[in-house]
Amino acid sequence: MKIERIVVPPPCPGLDMAAGYGWVQSSAIRAGAYLFVSGVLPIDPQTGERLQGTLTSEAHRAFQNLKLVLESAGSSLERLAQVRAMIYDRIEYDALNRVYRQYVPSGPPARTVWSVRIMDAFKVQLDAIAVI
Amino acid sequence: MASREIIVPGNDKLNVSRNFNLPHSPGIRAGDFIFLSGMLSTDPQTGERSPGTMAHETRQTLTNMRHLLESAGSSLERVVKINVLIYDMLEFENMNAVYRQFFPKDPPARTTCGVQLSAGMKIEIECIALA
Repeated sequence: MKIERIVVPPPCPGLDMAAGYGWVQSSAIRAGAYLFVSGVLPIDPQTGERLQGTLTSEAHRAFQNLKLVLESAGSSLERLAQVRAMIYDRIEYDALNRVYRQYVPSGPPARTVWSVRIMDAFKVQLDAIAVI
Repeated sequence: MASREIIVPGNDKLNVSRNFNLPHSPGIRAGDFIFLSGMLSTDPQTGERSPGTMAHETRQTLTNMRHLLESAGSSLERVVKINVLIYDMLEFENMNAVYRQFFPKDPPARTTCGVQLSAGMKIEIECIALA
């Protein structure tokens, strides 16, 4: 039997990137026991305003938004399987880790950190696969 | 144990990893999921890279991705996650506009980032789909 592909609606209006930003993506897709989450950015979950700041402030906001998406789909930060943490500059690697460990204090998910260019000059983007 | 099998495009010219002798498979089917390698714009007639504008490369890459998925019995509608790598975030809208034509309804989860790509190409796309 084929696994059903379920579109997960955005948990808050501000995180609806399709409506607010015109980006062609669902907030997340559920397939069987897995949840595939679109890249999460430091955006105000109510207004959709971009919250650019320091790497630390952006990482906190991105993690809080990721938490909202995961929990609205019946998963959680504890149920993350793999994360690609994208940062704008490798020099901030330690700053990322300081925030990162607060959100996954024990048994953290598999992770790769990529230093890349991120939309709208953000400093952090979190890309995640979780289990429900 | 879940199955693991290599999937290949029906059109031999699009079997880039074999034609360019690269150590990856076009895709792997693992149980209920299909994992595709990153795809660049390739001409389906000649098998050569097909560089061009962001719109052209996006269109050609997604056309080839659709062919590869359909060769494996899946489809673009079964894609759950897409990672889009582009050479310059300034071209995001040029990518997004063409991308929209391929996913008119219930698009997959997507993450986009800017990186340096092989051979001066402008976009590379990888995905996970349901078989």
